[in-house]
Amino acid sequence: MSASSSTAQPTATAQPASPPAGPATGSAPVRRSRVDLLPYLLIAPVMIFIALLALVPAVTTVVQSFFRVDALDPPTRFDGFGNFVRLAGDKALLGSIGNTVFYVVVGVALSTIIGIGAAVVLQKPFRGRSLVIAVLILPWALPGAVGGVLWTGIFDPNAGLINSVLSTLHLSDGNAVLLGQNRLLTITLIELVQVWQIAPLSVLLILAVLQLIPDELYEAAQIDGCTPWSAFLRITLPLARPGIAVTMVQAVIATLNVFDQPYVLNGAANTGASVTMQTYFISFQDLDFGGGYALSLLITLVTLVISLGVIRLVYRRVEL
Amino acid sequence: MKRRTSGLRGVGVAMILLWSLVPIYWAIKTSLQTEADARAKPAHYLPTNATWQNYATLLSGDGDVPAQIRRSTLNIVIECGAATVVTVLLATLAAYAFARMQFRGKTVLFYAVIATMAFPAYTTLIPLYRIMSTFGLVNTYTGIVLVYVSGFLPLATWILHNYFASLPSGIEEAGLVDGAHRLQVLWHLLLPLARPGIISTALITFLFAWGQFLFPLVLSSDLSTQPLTVVIASLQGRHVVPSTLLNAAGVLAIIVPAVLALAFNRYIVNGLLAGSTK
Repeated sequence: MSASSSTAQPTATAQPASPPAGPATGSAPVRRSRVDLLPYLLIAPVMIFIALLALVPAVTTVVQSFFRVDALDPPTRFDGFGNFVRLAGDKALLGSIGNTVFYVVVGVALSTIIGIGAAVVLQKPFRGRSLVIAVLILPWALPGAVGGVLWTGIFDPNAGLINSVLSTLHLSDGNAVLLGQNRLLTITLIELVQVWQIAPLSVLLILAVLQLIPDELYEAAQIDGCTPWSAFLRITLPLARPGIAVTMVQAVIATLNVFDQPYVLNGAANTGASVTMQTYFISFQDLDFGGGYALSLLITLVTLVISLGVIRLVYRRVEL
Repeated sequence: MKRRTSGLRGVGVAMILLWSLVPIYWAIKTSLQTEADARAKPAHYLPTNATWQNYATLLSGDGDVPAQIRRSTLNIVIECGAATVVTVLLATLAAYAFARMQFRGKTVLFYAVIATMAFPAYTTLIPLYRIMSTFGLVNTYTGIVLVYVSGFLPLATWILHNYFASLPSGIEEAGLVDGAHRLQVLWHLLLPLARPGIISTALITFLFAWGQFLFPLVLSSDLSTQPLTVVIASLQGRHVVPSTLLNAAGVLAIIVPAVLALAFNRYIVNGLLAGSTK
């Protein structure tokens, strides 16, 4: 490493071309005590970006949660837990918390089940598998807001796919209002759209873990008279736990912070508004930034706590 | 028994394909219909009397909506392209240093970068808006690109760090013996080896940037910088826009990410796995 540190010395002008044995004698100790600047220069841009546009904003959110920051009610001043107390009395927010709990439960459950199911389907190599995987990740690659637009065509009360199929099969007159009529149905359908977009990552993460399970385990199980179903329960599921844990954490973070799909599919209507949507309304419509900060802080804390809880419950280190 | 499992797999594969493709198909179908056909009952499941009229309207037609779609398409391409180039460039330099150099404070600094990934992105939404507004960067490409880059750098650095760390040790020594500067070693020896990782990172960054909605919704209030996603969502809210035209706009917004995902899925899958596990 001493050879490389000498190249980084802009001041080492002496002996421009004398690589053989000589140059180390007098100057080496001095050089070694100097700090090698090159790595710091290489990481500097990233560190500056992270410090100014991630750490400073994060600290701002924490600190300003305890301040009254309101464009319509200046100046900014310390307010203790005032923002949190005000949030606790916000009816629209309380409703959105209920909605978000549903989003998290439905979304984490569905994306995990789909993730496990599809990963098992794709576990063994077969012709065309890579093409199926390519198609599978397609919804993940699409913008959430546009996903909402695409599914509007599926849910449309007049010409939507679901209502059309129902009326073609004579199961209904084909005019059922799916979104916005009933809260549970609205939330489930909106979350279905988000699951459409986050489940591909769940499949990939679980599939990656399943690829590590040796075939011999399944062969031995089969010789012992294990049915495929009990092999799934006793081999696949336990060994997939690390992947399932990561998958569930990703789903928790995505669903707790869901914004695009409910915003596009259901607008500001309280049948589907999420907590992140309330943060947006409180901050950028009511201009109550203090309340927005406090709510952001709460969402972040809840996200971290639930993520850690999922890891503790589901994650098991697997030795193979 | 073998036949039964492969039969089950056939059903599973069919369900995966249907689940992934039907909503996209329905949007494409609707975008190729006239408004009367799209609203017909019973529904046409195939685009009978297919027409390119909606696309022609969006791409070369007069009027408010086509103009908005064209401008916001330009915006999203500029914003995603710039954010991707800057992110990959800066993350490559930092990841190289973190993965292959020794220096004081390395571990702490690296964790400081990685730890920001644990926070939900929207934690910083309001402060970032206020910072950008203080510096007059709301409704500018610079503001949006700065926010995107800061958001994507941790993951990009992490993925690239894992790629650089997986390359055999001793490459630098070999290069340095030949008298090359360490940056020449990075440029001539390590970058070519890390190319798959760099392509993965660029694709994932670009797709994330293309999918952004809430940040640009807050950071750009007019058409000068609004990306396609924001404009389409606002058209959706106005019920006067015909659904066939809206679906054509939606298809325009998914062509680029869909083609990238299908063409480069191997790079994307590898990058996602390198970024999510471990």
